[in-house]
Amino acid sequence: MTKRAARLFFFIATGLSALIFTVLTIDSHRQFPRLTNAAALDERVVAGKDVWHRYNCVNCHTLLGEGAYYAPDLTQITSHRGAPYLRQFLKDPSKFYSEQRDGRLMPTLNLSDRDIDDVIAFLSWISRIDTQGWPPRPILVRGSAVPGAVLGAPPPQPASGDPVELGRAAYNSTPPGCAACHSIAPGVNIVGPTLAGISATAAARIKNPDYKGKAKDAAGYIRESILEPNAHVLAGPTYAAGGRSLMPDDYGQTLKPEQVDQIVAYLLTLR
Amino acid sequence: MRYASQRVAYPYFVVALLLFGLQMVFGLLAAAKYLGPDPLIDVLPFDVTKAIHTNLLLVWLLTGFMGATFYLVPEESRGELYSVRLAYIQLGLWTAMGVTAVVGYVFRWTAGNKLLEQPLPLKVVIVVVMLMFLYNIGMTIRAAGRLTTTEGVLVGGLACSALLYLPSLFEFDNYTVSVFYRWWTVHLWVEGVWEMIQGALLAYLLIRLSGVDREVLEKWLYVIVGLTFISGILGTAHHYYWIGVPRYWLPLGGFFSALEPLAFLAMAMYAYYAIRRSGLAHPNRMALHWTIGSAIFSALGAGLLGLAHTWPAVNKWTHGTLITPMHGHMAFFGAYVMIVLGMITYALPGLTGRSEDSRETGAGFWAFWLQVSGMFGMTMAFAAAGITQTYLERILGIGYLETQLKLRVHFLMLVATGALFVLGVALFLWDFFFLAGRPVPAAPRERTAAAPSVAG
Repeated sequence: MTKRAARLFFFIATGLSALIFTVLTIDSHRQFPRLTNAAALDERVVAGKDVWHRYNCVNCHTLLGEGAYYAPDLTQITSHRGAPYLRQFLKDPSKFYSEQRDGRLMPTLNLSDRDIDDVIAFLSWISRIDTQGWPPRPILVRGSAVPGAVLGAPPPQPASGDPVELGRAAYNSTPPGCAACHSIAPGVNIVGPTLAGISATAAARIKNPDYKGKAKDAAGYIRESILEPNAHVLAGPTYAAGGRSLMPDDYGQTLKPEQVDQIVAYLLTLR
Repeated sequence: MRYASQRVAYPYFVVALLLFGLQMVFGLLAAAKYLGPDPLIDVLPFDVTKAIHTNLLLVWLLTGFMGATFYLVPEESRGELYSVRLAYIQLGLWTAMGVTAVVGYVFRWTAGNKLLEQPLPLKVVIVVVMLMFLYNIGMTIRAAGRLTTTEGVLVGGLACSALLYLPSLFEFDNYTVSVFYRWWTVHLWVEGVWEMIQGALLAYLLIRLSGVDREVLEKWLYVIVGLTFISGILGTAHHYYWIGVPRYWLPLGGFFSALEPLAFLAMAMYAYYAIRRSGLAHPNRMALHWTIGSAIFSALGAGLLGLAHTWPAVNKWTHGTLITPMHGHMAFFGAYVMIVLGMITYALPGLTGRSEDSRETGAGFWAFWLQVSGMFGMTMAFAAAGITQTYLERILGIGYLETQLKLRVHFLMLVATGALFVLGVALFLWDFFFLAGRPVPAAPRERTAAAPSVAG
């Protein structure tokens, strides 16, 4: 090969690659509105994106798997944790996590209520982007999609005296062992059904004509499910047999009333 | 050193190395924060530390590129620089920009876009500095009327860097679109036009150090840059996985980025053949070490470790884990840090008025080997952490926080090997500032009053 030929190779290769790249970029722009659900991209979402940038979030977290690796990925966070939880968390993360127990803590950013709502709107818009099936399995902040997989993890001690936090700790303790059968990851049904989004699911379920129990609201439904698993039975090979739920029916005796209240409070945050 | 105006490279190297040293402080801090708990959480949290660490890297490497260019262009074009004064003004403005950015980050003044955190006014300064620089170099080449392939590729790479920085000036409402164009700057820099810069500097150093035939080397330089762009331009697609773009970017990214190691492999081969032909005969053996080191480490770090997680079926599981910094650290070190340190080491005897063989110090060799082994260890620590994270968090579905606690032993290794690396950097700085001597002759005078007289 002569130097002339090498130069020709360089110019043709570069030109051709750049041309294909440009054409595909134009085509991508044609598809962005559909793939990113751009119709839902309102001013709250844009304001939330500005909050995201202003507080340099991407230099600890990843979003769409991009960013830094010091804190969890937030692509699907709004479908794992509801807005009420996220609002409380963003006001004071140290109520939920502690450096001693978790090794990491998010600094308190002193965000305004408006900023918090905006950034939640932004993250909720992000969670609906078509990511071609990524992540293939939910990326959890804490806990496990598989019971018992967290060997040697610190016992689930509450980080504060908040009822929700006490409920989370109780949920993850054995006994009562809720987490052994119910994951809080979407789509992960261990023995009992997943409790991801249970708050919204419960509210919808009591309105269903098939519902036979006595609960009037989501909290009531969750309480009833814990204390009287047979009040309303879901069909599923490992959920029930002969019309009877396979869940223990003695939590009314083994749990203290305030523990039930706390677990209900915690589960209500899963929207 | 054949031209008086080449001396302007020296202050550029001084600034570059000082910022390199500062970058290490923030790097070690960031690594320590992975171990936790973090006593500085409210003063200097991880996000600020990391932004400063990566921004200092970009700024000092570009400073090094500019210094290297000011050293190389007069020699290649056979003429003095167009304006030494402009080069000094440019350095002043550039340094002020860099320092302002770092101080700004500490006080939370940031655009919050990864690697492009510079607030808009600073981005404008960067563009202005790049234009001053390109004007100065362009006028030098025009006045001399001679443009070699090597310097053409170098200046082409720098000009394209400036051009590709422009998308970062725009804000997009749609986050996916914003990420899409962020990679035009970041990816097309480090896996595109910066490779032109590396290739050109490598060619220059190999010509000088091995005496290999320029025609042959420059022919291969075209091939290498051609390979870089075939794989690099469409290889941008490997950053477009899972971010809300059309599906066709997946196979494109897989195929073209799998070709990316070719360019690095070609560079390593051409260094190998050049050296095999001449032997390690050049008296500046420290520069030889850095040059060959760059060719080998970039093939490993940028080439092979990039390939390790670029295939969509693999990346689906590793995306956003510590596998990325495994690749990132060794790639940046091999491709860009080592080549800049190579240029500095090569130019230093000339800049300080010594003969070429008088620059061989124990500290200099220790600096090389400590950095090489430190970086190798850090890469291994990140790899072990990243693979474990992928299995526990992504495949088994264990929570992020529990997984991170399991990685502590690897973070400990990261801090330990990182400390070795920093020691190597400290020795390089020690060697440069205290053992190599001052720039001669009459450098202090030139830096102030005499500068204009050298211009033109």
